[in-house]
Parts: sequence; C-alpha cells; structure tokens
Amino acid sequence: MAFLSGWQGVLGLVLVVAFFASAIFAPLFAPYDPNAMDIPARLSGPSLSHLAGTDQLGRDTLSRLLYGGRVALKIAALGVSLSMVIGLFLGMIAAFGPRWLDALLLLIFDSVRAFPTIILGLATVALTGPSLGLVLVIVIVTSIPQYARVTRTAALSLRGTEFIQAERALGASTARILGHHILPNVVGPLLILAAMDVPVVVSIEAGFSFLGLGVTPPTASWGTILNEGYLVIRDAPWMVVAAGVPLILTTLGFTFLAEALRDVFDPRMTKGR
Amino acid sequence: MTKLTLSRRSFLATGTAIGALSLVGLTPAELQAAGETTLRLRLDGDNKILDPGYMIGGTEIEAQKQCLPFLAQYKRDGDSFTWEPTYFVTKLELRDPTHIDFELADGLVWSGGNGPLMASDVKFSYERMKGTDWGGYFDALDHVEVTGDRTGTLVLNKPFAPFFMVTLCHGPGAILCEKAVGAAGGKFTTQFPAVCGPYVYDQVPGQSATFSTNPEWTGPKPGYDKVLLRVISETKAAELAFEAGELDCTELSTDTMARYKAAMPAGAAITTAGQLQYMWMGMNTEHPKLQDIKVRQAIQHAVDVDSIIAAAYSNVPAKSFGVVCPGLIGHRTATKSYSYDPEKARALLAEAGVSGLSLSIRSLNTQEPMLAAQIIQANLAAVGITLNVIPLDSGPFWEMGTESAGDTWKDLELWTMRFAGTPDPYEATQWFVSSQVGIWNWERWKNAEYDSLYEQGIAESDEAKRTEIYLRMQDIMEETGAYVWICHEPEAYVHPENIAINAAPSGELDYRHFSHT
Repeated sequence: MAFLSGWQGVLGLVLVVAFFASAIFAPLFAPYDPNAMDIPARLSGPSLSHLAGTDQLGRDTLSRLLYGGRVALKIAALGVSLSMVIGLFLGMIAAFGPRWLDALLLLIFDSVRAFPTIILGLATVALTGPSLGLVLVIVIVTSIPQYARVTRTAALSLRGTEFIQAERALGASTARILGHHILPNVVGPLLILAAMDVPVVVSIEAGFSFLGLGVTPPTASWGTILNEGYLVIRDAPWMVVAAGVPLILTTLGFTFLAEALRDVFDPRMTKGR
Repeated sequence: MTKLTLSRRSFLATGTAIGALSLVGLTPAELQAAGETTLRLRLDGDNKILDPGYMIGGTEIEAQKQCLPFLAQYKRDGDSFTWEPTYFVTKLELRDPTHIDFELADGLVWSGGNGPLMASDVKFSYERMKGTDWGGYFDALDHVEVTGDRTGTLVLNKPFAPFFMVTLCHGPGAILCEKAVGAAGGKFTTQFPAVCGPYVYDQVPGQSATFSTNPEWTGPKPGYDKVLLRVISETKAAELAFEAGELDCTELSTDTMARYKAAMPAGAAITTAGQLQYMWMGMNTEHPKLQDIKVRQAIQHAVDVDSIIAAAYSNVPAKSFGVVCPGLIGHRTATKSYSYDPEKARALLAEAGVSGLSLSIRSLNTQEPMLAAQIIQANLAAVGITLNVIPLDSGPFWEMGTESAGDTWKDLELWTMRFAGTPDPYEATQWFVSSQVGIWNWERWKNAEYDSLYEQGIAESDEAKRTEIYLRMQDIMEETGAYVWICHEPEAYVHPENIAINAAPSGELDYRHFSHT
C-alpha cells in the first residue's frame, strides 16, 4: 500500500488500530471493572496493581480509560459517518438543485458553522439534560456543513465538465449522473476529511464530558476522567496525564493516517510541499 | 545574613501567584504603603448590593460589618456560639420576651457630616427591613420605640428566641444612616451613603475592594490600617496565592483542607469558623415509586454515609445526623431509625414487594455532590435499585422542587441537597413545615406535631426545652424515611500562625477583629 511507504502513515495506522482494538476489546484488556469502587485505595498512585493509579472513588484509571475509548469510538464512528452521509446528500442537492435551494442550504450551513459548538451544547443541555445521545446529535449537526460544502464544491466543478455534458446529452437522469459520476469523484476527498475529523470529534466528546455535558455517571469517558483529574491535579497528577495520553495519541494517529491518505489520493499536494 | 534559597517548589508557587495576582492588577509595591499595616484577603466576586435589605449576602455582609453599626455580634463559646453586645451599644437587654432595650454608645458619628448615630437610625433601619427582600428576618419585629437620642426599645409582636442570633448578629441587623439613605433615594448599591465604623469602603469592579481607616471613627482601633481584598473567583487560585505568601487568609476547599491537615504549610494555621452547612439526600414522599415508607427506609439503610464523607469530602466534614448543625442547641449525635445495613435494606424492599426498582437522583454538577451521587448509585445497585444520576447546573437545580417554577417537582425522586444557615436551630427547621411543601420542603410531607413544635421552638427561651423541641423535630423528619443525613461541611480558613482571624459561624470574616500577634 502506497500510504505505508512513509513513517507517518505507518505510525498513524498503528495508533488508529490500537485505538480501535483497545476500545473494542476493552473488557478483555481492562484489569478491573471500570465502575468498581475501592474507597480505601482512592487516589493511589501508579503501581503494579493499578498501572495508571486510581481516582477519587478508588476506581482503576486504566480500566476507565479503556472503557472511555469505547465512548470515543462510538461518537467518532457514528458522528463522522452519519454527518458525512448527510453532508454528501445535502451537498449534491445544493449543487444540482434549483438556485434558491442552493442559496438556502448555504445559508443554513453558514449559520450552523457560525454558531459556537460549546454554546450550542450548553443551550441544548439546559433544555434536555446531559447525555451521550445529545453529544452525538451536536457533533452531527455541527459537522454536516463541512462535508456538504466540500461535496457541493466538488460537484459544481464536475457539473460543467465535458463528460457530464455528454451524459446529459445522451439523456442520463440527474440521479444517474450523481450516483455514477459525481459520487465516486467526491468520496475520496470526503474520506480524507472524515479521517481528519475523527480526532476533532473525539476532542469534542471529551470537551463536552469535561464540562459535564456528555456522558452521565458512572460511564467512563476521557473527558470525565480529565475533569476529575483536573480537580485533584495537586494530589493526583497522574489522572490528568493518563487521560491526556490517549487523546494525544488518537489525535496524532488519525492526523498522520489522514495525511498519508491524502498524499495517496492527491499526489500533487505532496509535490507542492 | 539571611541566605537566599530558591527551590523549584517555591519558584513555581511564587511565580504562579504573582502571575495570577498581576492579572487582577496587584503589584507588590501596592501592598506595602509606608507605615501602614495591610491585611490582604480574597474576594470571590464583586460586592453588588451593600444595602442590607437587598443584598445577596456573603462578602456583602462582611463589608457591612466593617462600615455599619450593629447592636449584637456572635461570640464563640468553646464549640458553640452565643451573642454579645457590640461596641456600638452600652446596653442591650431582653426586658421581657417581646421587649429588647438598647442604648447606643456616645460620640459615634456618621461620615460625610451626617451627624451622630441616633436611636432614630435604628428605628429607620429595622422598620425599613420589614418591606425588603430580607424582611423575613424581621417578621417578629412589631416596631422600634425611640425613647431618647440614643435609647430605644425593639418591640416584638411575639416571643422570638432566635432574634439576637438570627437577626441582630447577622447582615440584616446592620444599622443605616436615615439622613444619608434618604438623600440617596432610599436604596443604595455599591457604595455606602454614610459609614459609622472603623473603615471606609471603596471598590474597583472586577479587581478589588479596599477598606481604609475612617478618619471620623472614634471607637476602638481595628487590628489593621487597611484591608485589601483582591477578586479571585477560583478557590484553588486563592489557595495558591496564600501558599506563595501573597494572601494573609483564604477559605479552603475540603480536599485542600485534608492535604493541609496531612502536611500543613510552614507557619500556617487553620481556623474553622463553623459547620453551619447541612447536606442530606432527600426523597419525594409523594412520588409513586417512593410512597411506600418501606422503600424509603430501605434506601436509608442502603446508603453508606461514611464512604461518602471519606471519598467525596476527604473525611473533613462532621457526619450529619440531622439538620441542626454542630455547636447549636438541638444537634443530634446519632440517628434513631436507620444505619448503613444493606441486608436490612434488601429485607425492607422484599417486605414492600418491590423488585427491579429504577430511580433517578438529581445532583449539582460540582465535584463533591457528583462523587456523593456516584457512591449512592453504587450503594443502591448493591441492594437491587438502579439509580440514574442527573447532573444539573445551579439554575435548574435550585428550582426543581419549587411548584411555581414548573412541573419538575412531580418527577423529582431523589436528590442531594445542601443548605447553609445561621447559628440557631430555628432557621434549619423552618424549611420543613407544612406551608413549605412545594417551596423548600421538596420531600413533601406534612406533620401537625412538627408544625406545632416549630412554633413552640420560636417562642421558647429556655435552652433545655428548646433542645428537646428541636431533637424531637428531627426525629419526626427522620421517621418520614425521606432523609439520609450526610455531613456538615466546615467553613475553614487558612492563615499565618501569627495572624488571629475572626469569622462568624456562617463564615463571614470580620476584618475589624483580625490581629497580628
């Protein structure tokens, strides 16, 4: 595979695989039940029995990190894939639909993009209360515009090309043109964008959970572990470090992988750098 | 010659504190005006309304204590609190259960040429309070009789034993200058129209508040010439500033208090003002899932309060056995009808014929309440009850049981709650009378004996009888099965060993009585 020829691509792939494996097989890797409390052992430092120490309730931090990865994976997988599919659909409608619809959709995309994600989250939580489902909805709503805009731009540039004109002259329907010619040409850039978007979504989930807007107790999330660690940072600094490491590695992994993929899909970018 | 040493810890601590304080405009030079003794304290936010009738409370009461006269003040008596006359009066006596005679000290004047402190100022101030936001503190006051320039009588409309401790010693008991307040339009906000106390007050919003010597003050000299309070909203930042030597006193969070108790910073001491906060887990007795008292009693037996205090509060607060706080008459030292016993909890649930019960607990989304809620969640899971934790911001949290704020009270099942009060059991018990159902009695039970005892407790002046009354009232509360008492968090302050601090039992500092020893 061409994208594995560089060290960044290999490292990215390893980190991404590690992320998926640790999340999917968390029950196998976790040394303890992530919610099992051991109050006498609260805020214990890293040791052989608790590699990443324990939290305020004596829960094993490593086990909670592994289970927290499942939350991140769930949000990333669902959030990115759903927003990509919806964005793809809306982007093609904007490009090939009537002008008024294009203008309306652009207005909506820009309005959503202009609204700060955290403020949207705070406002929604005030109405509904915190939940993982809410985080997912906010991630999807705020991510759709970027996929839609990329799709629209790519579709518009293709719309005037000769082979599309030829298809039209031969009587091909809009649905056929979109499905057979536009879609294959925009999927590549969208996949790169999606790979780039995964760490952003993971960070959004962690940020929301850090602020108490995401998962509810006792569910473990990297954001809640980070928040709990922040509150006792002078007594138990390992909690913040332990929660920060997977966030950093996941971000690095997906970023390296996405860049490697981009180099493969668009070699001109590599030459230009 | 003093050897100059620089350690990593001291460098980081000093650097952090100087950096933090620089952000709010503090310079070391500002702290040491020539020949002045300056006390450096923390303000957790701007004082917005200094008017005792419309204040928020907290540090606004602290400001009033420095600049306005009071008839009475708190006095610590071992582990309990009582009251004593202030230096603004030469006489303050309960003539009979409804008459309190007072005589103001001679020679005290209001600033700004507003004349001497008069008995008519007391009448104006206290009768004015009846129509304000804090008017409840003066429900028992009928009127103030002025018998001379400096003498008068507070006439109560019924015997009200807590009047000294709850009303006269606390912020609402501040006396205002009738002439100056009238000239200011009858109300004031961020500046006192006139002061009569050792300090004058000034503030820079968002940055600081300063108490400087009042040149017109003829009373006792305070311990410091100047008190400088810097706005530092984060408790942890203030703790860092203290450790770096940039503050002389600051409030402590419970986890830091535990850390200090294990390893106190050199030359520092902790003073606990009082433990007038009471935290409990409440249950809505009207909710269909909780109407059976056996279910509520099962929950009482299922919760491990000792673990909550250990994990959520670092073993710092006193374990609670009722709403009356330590140091007050009527404080309980044990529960009567429940203790942590998961087996008993399971048996009670079986007796009630309940299985697979699923409940929710609403909690403030701050550190300690959330940890407590998670322990309760694990405790209830151990007896077969599934508990969903609902974290809430302070806005929706504080109105969730209030009928006038919507319908959330109907869905309310369990919650953790913390109230703070004044040093008399009357205040803590008032929230659970029948008329408070739907206001602050979110547990929604009514008991005629409790209501009757409440009235008796207010009118009774015999301490032994009041003790019996308040103990019985808490027995009644516990017997409803609607309460799991948790803890009384202390109001604790750290300060250098050579500075003696003065704090009201409810935590307000009185800078006048700070002294350097």
